[in-house]
Amino acid sequence: MSILIRKAIIVDPDSPFHRSAKDIFIQDGIIRKIADEITDPADQLIEQEFLHLSPGWVDIFTHCCDPGYEYRETLETGARAAAKGGFTHIFVVPNTRPVVHDKSMVTYIAEKQVSVPVSLHPLGAITRDAQGKELAEMYDMYAGGAIAFSDGWNPIQSAGLMIKALQYIKTFDGIILQIPDDKSIAPQGLMNEGVISTRLGLPGKPAMAEELMVARDIKLARYTGSRLHFTGVTTAKSLEYIRRAKASGIDITCSVTPQHMYFTDTDLQGYDTNLKTELPIRGKEDAEALKNAVLDGTVDCISSHHHPLAWDQKVCEFEYAKPGMTGLQTLFGAAGALEIPTETIIRNISLNPRKIFRLPAASIVEGEIADITLFQPETRYSIEQKDLVSKSINTPFLGKTLTGKVLGIIHKNKILLQF
Amino acid sequence: MQLSTKHLLGIRDLSSTDIQTILDTATQFKEVLQRPIKKVPSLRDITIVNLFYENSTRTRISFELAEKRLSADTINFTAGGSSVSKGETLLDTVNNILSMKVDMVVMRHSASGAPHFLAKHIPAVIVNAGDGINEHPTQALLDAFSIREKLGGLEGKRVAIIGDIMHSRVALSNIYLLKKMGAEITVAGPPTLIPKYLQDAFDVRVEYDVKKALAWCDIANVLRIQLERQNQVLFSSLREYNQAFGITRELLESIGKEIYIMHPGPINRGVELDSDVADSGQSIILEQVENGVAVRMAVLYLLSGKRESA
Repeated sequence: MSILIRKAIIVDPDSPFHRSAKDIFIQDGIIRKIADEITDPADQLIEQEFLHLSPGWVDIFTHCCDPGYEYRETLETGARAAAKGGFTHIFVVPNTRPVVHDKSMVTYIAEKQVSVPVSLHPLGAITRDAQGKELAEMYDMYAGGAIAFSDGWNPIQSAGLMIKALQYIKTFDGIILQIPDDKSIAPQGLMNEGVISTRLGLPGKPAMAEELMVARDIKLARYTGSRLHFTGVTTAKSLEYIRRAKASGIDITCSVTPQHMYFTDTDLQGYDTNLKTELPIRGKEDAEALKNAVLDGTVDCISSHHHPLAWDQKVCEFEYAKPGMTGLQTLFGAAGALEIPTETIIRNISLNPRKIFRLPAASIVEGEIADITLFQPETRYSIEQKDLVSKSINTPFLGKTLTGKVLGIIHKNKILLQF
Repeated sequence: MQLSTKHLLGIRDLSSTDIQTILDTATQFKEVLQRPIKKVPSLRDITIVNLFYENSTRTRISFELAEKRLSADTINFTAGGSSVSKGETLLDTVNNILSMKVDMVVMRHSASGAPHFLAKHIPAVIVNAGDGINEHPTQALLDAFSIREKLGGLEGKRVAIIGDIMHSRVALSNIYLLKKMGAEITVAGPPTLIPKYLQDAFDVRVEYDVKKALAWCDIANVLRIQLERQNQVLFSSLREYNQAFGITRELLESIGKEIYIMHPGPINRGVELDSDVADSGQSIILEQVENGVAVRMAVLYLLSGKRESA
C-alpha cells in the first residue's frame, strides 16, 4: 500500500524537516520520500488544510479493564479510543482481574496486537495481585514483553518493598511507574483538602499525601540508582522535589494528566462524580504549576490516565462513585485548550515517552517506519458523546471546547483516518 | 413568601432573606402548635416520603410530626430491611417510590452530596435531613430559631460551636447560617476534630481552649462526639475528652457569666456534656426539639408549592 501526504507541517524536533511543510510518500509502511513536491502515484492521497504530522503518540497509562471488567472497556475498544485520540502506542495498566502479574497475562495482552490498530504494551505488576506484598515475576514479564512495571492504581506503600523492587529491575535496566499517593494519610479523603472541600463537607485529601510519597521515592531512587517515573503528579511541591532531584542527577521522570491542569477543585462544587479521580483535582495554583512545569520541561510526559467506568459507578452518590475518568480522546484537545504549544505537547506525548521507555523514535525521516499521527492543532470544537468510542463515557470534558483535532494515524502499515 | 430555591439541600444555597422567611414562618407555626387543635390543612394532597438511609430518632420523628400537623400523607422508609440491603441503588429506590406519585422527599444519607445528586436526577422536591459530614440544614434553622427566641436576634450575637467539628454536619450548617445572618462564631475542640482549612473557608475564630470559647460567647452549641467514628485516632479516650473539652458545671461556673447551652442530641452524658449542665436552667435542649417541629413545618410548607394560607 502506498500513501501520499500533501503539504503536511512536520512536528518532530529530531527531524531535519521539523516545522517545514512537505509532501511525504509512504510505501509498505516505510517513509520512502520527503520532498517539497512528490508526484508518485499513490493508493491513498491525504490532503487537508492545516495538516500537521508527528511521530505517533504514546500514552503511558491507559486502563483497558480487560480481562475482568470487559463491561467497562476491552483491549479492542480501548485501542480504538486510543487510535481516535491519535495514539499509536498505549501502555496498559495491570489492574485487571486477574492482575497482569505473570508472563501469561503479559502474553494475553501482547497477542491482541494483531487485531487492533495500535501497539499495546503491557505494564507488569510489581507485586503479586498488585497487593504490595510480595514481588511478582518481573524478569519473566520483562522477557515476555512488559514495557515497564507498576502496581497501577495501587501504588507501593511499603518503602522496604519499593527498595527491593527498584533494585530488582536493575537486572534488565527496567523502569517503575508509580502514582505517588501515601494512602495512610486521609484514607477517607474524597477530594483535594482545602477551602473548597471544607465548604462542601467532603473529606479532604491533603497534597502532602502525594508529596511525602514523591520525597520518599526520590530518596529510594537515589539509594538504588534505579529508574523511576512518577505518573499523574498533581502538586507544585511534588514538582519542586522532582526538579531538584533531576538537577542532582537522579534518574527520575514524571508525567501529568490534562485533567489536573484543566480543572480545579472549584469545579467540584456540584459534586460532579466525573471529577473524582485517584489523585484529586487540586486548586488553581497547583493546576498552574503543573502547566508551567510542562512548559519548562520539568514534566516529561502528558498521560491520559484513561480509566473507563460503568454508568452506575459514576451516576451515584459522590462518596460511592469510583475515581477515574476516560481520557484518550480528549488528551490532545485539552492540552491544546490549555494553550500549551503544539511542539511541547508532541514532545510530551511522543518524543519523551519514546526515549524514557525505549520505544523506536519513529522520526519523520526517509527510510524510517511510518508510525505517524496526523492532526490539526488549531481546530476548536466541542467534544460530544457521539464522538467517543470508548465503552464508557465517564468524562467531565463533554461539552467543553477543546483545541486540536486528531485526523488519523498511520501505523503497522495501516491508515486510520477520521475526517 | 417564596424561597429562592426549589429544594432545601443546604444552608449554603439559601439567601439571608430565605432564612428570615423560614424563621418567620416557623414563628407562625409555633403558635399553631400551642392551639388545642394542632393540625392545619396546608399540605393536604401532598405526599412526602421520609427516606432514612442512616439511623435517626429525633429528626425522623420531628419531620413526621411536622408532616402530619400539615395534613400531608407520609411514607417512612428506612434502609435496613429494605431493597437497599439487596443492593438497589439510591436512584432506583427513589424512582420506584416516585412512580407511586410522591411530591417531596425528605432524605438522610451517610454520603455528603447525596441529596444534591438526587435533586439532579429526579423531579420531586428534596429536603436534606442530613448528608454525611456536609449539612443538616433544618437543624441549623431550628438552632437559629432557638437562638433568636433566647437572644432576640442573630446579628452580632456570639455563638460558640464546641466539639467534633470535623464530622459534624450540624457544625457546617450552623456556620453557614450564622455567617449569613451576621452572627459571630468561635469553634472550639481538639485540633484533630477541627478541619485544617475551616478558618480560611469561613472566617471563623478557632479555639482549642473550651473555657476561653465559653467565656467569649452568648450561647454555646455543644456537638455530639461521634462514638462510631472513634476507630480513627482522633483523641485518646472519652475520659480525657471530658476532662479537656467536656462542658462541666464547674467549668461553666468558672467563666463568671451566664450563657445558654444547646445540643443537637443525642447527648453522650459525661462526655461532651455533663448531666448537671444538660438538665440545668441554662440548657435549652428540649426547646430546640420543640422548635424543630415548627421549623420543619415551615420548610415543608414553603417548599411544597402550596402557599395560599398558613
